[in-house]
Amino acid sequence: MTGHDDSDPEDEEYHPAPGVPRLGRDEQEAVYGPDYTVDPPEDGIDPVSRAAATGAADSEPDVAPDGGTSATGGDLDPDDYDAVDVFDTGALDLRDGSDSCYKCTSCDTSCPVAEVDDSFPGPKFQGPEQWRLKRKEDADIDPSITDCSNCMRCDSACPSSVPLSQMHNEARGEYVDEQMEKLSTEYVRNRILSNYRFFAAIASKTPRLANFVTGLSVTQWAGEKLLGITGEREFPDFAEETFREWWRKRGGARVENPEKRVAYFHGCYANYNTPEVGKAMVRVYESFGYEVMVPPQQCSGTPMFANGMLDDARRHAETNVEELARAIGEGADVIASCTSCSLSLRQEYPELFDLHGIEDVAEHTFEALEYLRIHEDLRGELADAELGGESFAYHAPCHARNQGLARQAIETFADVDGVAVEDVGDSCSGISGTYGWKAEKYETSMTIGAEMFEHMEAAAGEVGMTECPTCAMQMEHGTGYEVKHPLQVLEAAVVD
Amino acid sequence: MAIASDVLVVGGGLAGATAALAAAREGADVRLVSHKQSTLSQASGLVDVLGYVPHTRAEADDDPTATPTAGRTGIRDRPDPEGPLVDPFAAVDRLPEGHPYRLVGVDALRAGLELFDDAVDGYRGGHTDRNALVPTFGGTVKPTARYPESVAAGLASDARPMLVVGFRSLTDFDARQVAARLEATGVPFPVAGVEVAFPAAFRDDAAVTRVARALDRDEAIDGTPARRALAAAVEPHLDAVEGGAARVGFPAFLGDDAAPTVRAELADHLGADVFEIPMGPPSLPGLRLEDRLYAALEDAGVRYETGNPVVGRELADGTDGGDGASGRVEALLVDRTGTEVPYAAEAVVLATGGLVGKGIHSDREGVREPVLGCHVPHPAERYEWYVDDALGDQPYARFGVDTDDRLRPLDADGAVQFPNVRVAGATLGGADVAREKSASGVSLATGLVAGREAAAEVSR
Amino acid sequence: MRRTTEVLVVGGGSTGCGIARDLATRGVDVTLVEKGNLTHGTTGRMHGLLHSGGRYAVSDRASARECIEENDVLRDIAAHCVEETGGLFVKRPEDEESYFEEKLAGCRACDIPAEVLSGAEAREREPYLATDIEKAIAVPDAAIDPFRLCVANAADAADHGARVATHAEVTDVLVEAGEVVGVEVRHGDGPRKATTEVGATERITADHVVNATGAWAGQLGAMAGVDIAVRPSKGVMTVMNTRQVDTVVNRCRPKGDADIVVPHETACILGTTDEEVDDPEDYPEERWEVDLLVEQLAELLPILREARTLRSFWGVRPLYEPPGTGTEDPTDITRDFFLLDHADRDGLPGMTSIVGGKLTTYRLMAEDITDHVCEKLGVSASCTTADKSLPGSDDIRDLHDRMDEFGLRSPVSRRSAQRLGSRADEVLDVDGPNPVVCECEAVTRAEVRDAIDGAGRDLNAVRLRTRAAMGTCQGGFCCHRMAAELESEFDASEARASLDELYQERWKGQRHACWGEQLSQAMLNHMLHATTMNRDGDPARLDDDIDFGAFDGGDAWP
Repeated sequence: MTGHDDSDPEDEEYHPAPGVPRLGRDEQEAVYGPDYTVDPPEDGIDPVSRAAATGAADSEPDVAPDGGTSATGGDLDPDDYDAVDVFDTGALDLRDGSDSCYKCTSCDTSCPVAEVDDSFPGPKFQGPEQWRLKRKEDADIDPSITDCSNCMRCDSACPSSVPLSQMHNEARGEYVDEQMEKLSTEYVRNRILSNYRFFAAIASKTPRLANFVTGLSVTQWAGEKLLGITGEREFPDFAEETFREWWRKRGGARVENPEKRVAYFHGCYANYNTPEVGKAMVRVYESFGYEVMVPPQQCSGTPMFANGMLDDARRHAETNVEELARAIGEGADVIASCTSCSLSLRQEYPELFDLHGIEDVAEHTFEALEYLRIHEDLRGELADAELGGESFAYHAPCHARNQGLARQAIETFADVDGVAVEDVGDSCSGISGTYGWKAEKYETSMTIGAEMFEHMEAAAGEVGMTECPTCAMQMEHGTGYEVKHPLQVLEAAVVD
Repeated sequence: MAIASDVLVVGGGLAGATAALAAAREGADVRLVSHKQSTLSQASGLVDVLGYVPHTRAEADDDPTATPTAGRTGIRDRPDPEGPLVDPFAAVDRLPEGHPYRLVGVDALRAGLELFDDAVDGYRGGHTDRNALVPTFGGTVKPTARYPESVAAGLASDARPMLVVGFRSLTDFDARQVAARLEATGVPFPVAGVEVAFPAAFRDDAAVTRVARALDRDEAIDGTPARRALAAAVEPHLDAVEGGAARVGFPAFLGDDAAPTVRAELADHLGADVFEIPMGPPSLPGLRLEDRLYAALEDAGVRYETGNPVVGRELADGTDGGDGASGRVEALLVDRTGTEVPYAAEAVVLATGGLVGKGIHSDREGVREPVLGCHVPHPAERYEWYVDDALGDQPYARFGVDTDDRLRPLDADGAVQFPNVRVAGATLGGADVAREKSASGVSLATGLVAGREAAAEVSR
Repeated sequence: MRRTTEVLVVGGGSTGCGIARDLATRGVDVTLVEKGNLTHGTTGRMHGLLHSGGRYAVSDRASARECIEENDVLRDIAAHCVEETGGLFVKRPEDEESYFEEKLAGCRACDIPAEVLSGAEAREREPYLATDIEKAIAVPDAAIDPFRLCVANAADAADHGARVATHAEVTDVLVEAGEVVGVEVRHGDGPRKATTEVGATERITADHVVNATGAWAGQLGAMAGVDIAVRPSKGVMTVMNTRQVDTVVNRCRPKGDADIVVPHETACILGTTDEEVDDPEDYPEERWEVDLLVEQLAELLPILREARTLRSFWGVRPLYEPPGTGTEDPTDITRDFFLLDHADRDGLPGMTSIVGGKLTTYRLMAEDITDHVCEKLGVSASCTTADKSLPGSDDIRDLHDRMDEFGLRSPVSRRSAQRLGSRADEVLDVDGPNPVVCECEAVTRAEVRDAIDGAGRDLNAVRLRTRAAMGTCQGGFCCHRMAAELESEFDASEARASLDELYQERWKGQRHACWGEQLSQAMLNHMLHATTMNRDGDPARLDDDIDFGAFDGGDAWP
């Protein structure tokens, strides 16, 4: 939507008339705008303009036009595009997200942070109210945006489908970009935490050494003093062999079936820290006859969204979308074992980025158990299974909630002999990814998680179960329980 | 098909939960899907059945077909409603004919209440058919059939002296105004209102859940445990009311999980009964009710999931049939970020809510039911959807799906549109639940019938 | 004979308030009476456009020139009432190129800064503009808040000794010996006045009476026995929930309906139509007008078709043309203003009327008539209203930095400061909790109470001053909160009456927005007020008493 040269954001050709403000809707530069050149559209007309011109104005004026062909060869459906994310050089303007809000405050009542921290105003203020009050020259987001843990429970509470977490992510990105001091400890620390993958990749080259170092109390002390990373938590262990190393060593897929292909998005944690989850996924899927692909991939961006590092997230998204779209083109659906990864690919990606093929990726991404429930007779397979009499205390991750998966594990194992899975309630675990690792947020994260800890202890099971790696960390930290992923239990049940 | 159940309930509010429970009790395998959290968090937590038979347009001079004018401000003498009704059941016959109560009958209403009384703990009022009058934060009293324990000590027919407490940082009501208004309604007890400064430790815009949690966990407020701090803030004012307060009314934030303990301890400190005044959104009593309903669902073995919307239907021929289609619904399509996953069922209960719960949508062209495409009767002329008097007989308040007496949705010609579908709750048309004070009762009565009917479909 | 006041100004719109300010600052003893709240008439029902003059650049160059001059002045003296949005005249393919050229030439001829932008450049500024907009002319249109403007003028007048009486309706113009000597007013229900009772009548005598009643000029004239043929013409305005644009967007075609979108505070306002009416107080509010705005303006901004509207309201333009002009179409009637000296015109000394005109030139109109009246009174002071800032518009540059002191969230303090201008300190520095009363518009208790001080129990007046109840929920969540703030000064039944009035007033505009999300909002509001609060069944207002003993008293626990 630019009249001047797209490839030069500093275009000096443009001189406004006196009294007429200079820049576009928001005075800020693009929050997540690419730091490379954007290819201008071929016909020289921006997507929004093209949309309005193609007579989409009659029915859905806000939809982008055909953006090309999807990875599966079909036409990309214009109805799948959301108007707000086709700005390719400006920050998103989400004011009209507040059109859906009717001020019921349901979002605030579901917010775990607002429940324990009164300095946090809650999603209603942070999202639709704050956005609606913005005018063109206003450039200050309330600093309380950094208190939001991005648990996204507000999304599932809102009866009107206000794009709450999208508004929060965008406001947070704007805040970090415009108002946070880039040399501050806070910023540096957040950047480090967001880019976990980068550090994990290095550490996993010498896992034992890395574990030794991170296990030292002086490391924990230094982390807190120098960077503001809490010393109360133990850093996760790095696996001796990453998932991808295991995958390579085993020779990749052992089942060939072009009709049943899945591309596994393992996520940082399953690769570097808990490869047993990834192994369980592969074995379970192969036992159902799927050909598993493990494409090149980067971080799904979840920690980056939560910290307003939208540039970083976008960079990783470019690789992910490209690789996953290619896999989809080869007939695969994308499977994620971490519910934050799957939520990121399904919701935050299309909301915040306008990469080609991103809608396809969102549409073809599923959570691991979800996919089997839909496409296989999971109930039948499990009917004859018998496990060793384990009892689990299951916690549904907040990010699973938005995907409708909060009761999935309970339902899946309900009829299986020899295993009892008890739901420990719908509270938030409190850690919310990088949130609980920040020194100043640690107490809050533990306060939020208190209810979950209590319910876990009251439950019959002595082993925890959850799909989310950081929830697992928190569960273990608060109760000492070992924590498993449902895939591991499924593996025990169906794989010989 | 992979995801299948006997009965599929769409909508997780009071009507949907009631239908699911009713169907489960008939032995059906029930699945409940809800897109978002229910609107129970917006409602006061009271279970009202019928409080008034309000005036209709025939009695007022509010003509929805008249062009609005600048001079017609809508303020005029509004005919009084009939009520507050002491016996709601006896008044059902005086409601308009298309009203859901008239369709399903008083027995269904009683059965719905019975189910509620059985499944949900912590509610009172079931010992009598008579309505109770509960003080509102608007300073009036309102009739209700059931009320949570937290409200019980505040009933208006109880003659004990009452102190109403407000807080300086809470804007929703002024306690002194509430007390003065209650007095003006003629309540049989002396009442006074007072504003106190607790919770001073919280920011002015702290969420109601924050205050509730502080009380639940008895957090220290400036060194003093919260419950004692709150009592201490109120205690000096007990004599503000003539005769000394025998009961003290608070805004409804007295704890969540530990609410009974919080109230008991406050009562202990104050030497007076403690009760809550239900408030509008957000509503803690509403949230507590939601928790209890879902605990009941879990106990009954109902499988439920929230987070994904139902976006379409599959009829017997495997297609959605197009606009205005009718026939047996074989499956509903649940959207999973772009992929539509069929959920098969023998019978479907549609309890998606009304204009507030988003089960009924509208635009400048018309009003419709978006999930199944049921017919919603409404005037073609948009300006006939409302009347000038804001609190008058608003046509839009009655918008919804029309059904037969088995709650099967009817199409524009009055024929059954989907034979294995039952509609319940606010999705139904014909009731002005706001002015009648009948929202919960409609949900219970029709939820019960819908659930039983759906279970019966299964055995067919 | 000693008169009550030197000059009596009838009418509390922009013109009347401007006149009161000008007279008072020249040392004249002035009394202003207004039958409702300030801005009760046309001023309170317009789209908030501070003209650059562009709209008149082709058809009425004299008006255009006046506009651009006053535009500059108001940006200066009323900074806290003006948002410098800029404006665009956009051309769609079907709009005439020749008109575009005429418009541009006209702007230049009137010294209105104008710059041509390509369609793409226009969309750079306003991304929601339709793609097929070919080009645009950028001009210095701005958005102005008429309420704040009038309140500031009235405050300045009062600071200089004027008496400003709202809710004081003129019931008769007093004529003695063929000369106007004053008026009789009836005091309605307004701010608590120590000396005046509700319903009391008062004779106010004056050396001169100024009739600044706009659309009611004819009615007041009739009370004096003179004929003033005002031709009231209605126009609809539709308020959107959010700002789809931050610039004033005009359609570059000859004047017609539905050709402007004006950002206003947190919303934007679509305008308008032009239909002559008989009675400025009662005229039809028709659906086709609302639909026309949405459909036509969606040609400029396609998003409008689906965007949420909050309400629609109508204003009545007080058009006047000298007798004998005989224009048929109200859109052709001049927007110029006329000073009618009734001594010359009707042989009735003691009264002057001012009719026609527009908000943008209010100060100039006021200067004109003040000069005229001062001459009659022998007052030699000259006009300074263009040079002095209005209260609230004094140095506000460092205001933003100080906002942190009030402990409010940034957007709340920012909006409060934008509304209060240099009064922000004085208003927001309070003891005790200062919670937000209207969340949609970020209005704190302190601001509401300040407005109650100024406006009494009339919550609509409080609303106009603060914007409370003007946001997304249209008062559903804050009407009763505002009523709760009346407690310290008014009793509960007065507060309830005020609440009912405000709630009903909010409904009056919302009934025109009853679809989509606003219909859901209306239903939610209805449930909150009728079910949860039971205001419609308020026993204090029903005829029958309640037999409390017949209801469940909780005596038999299960």
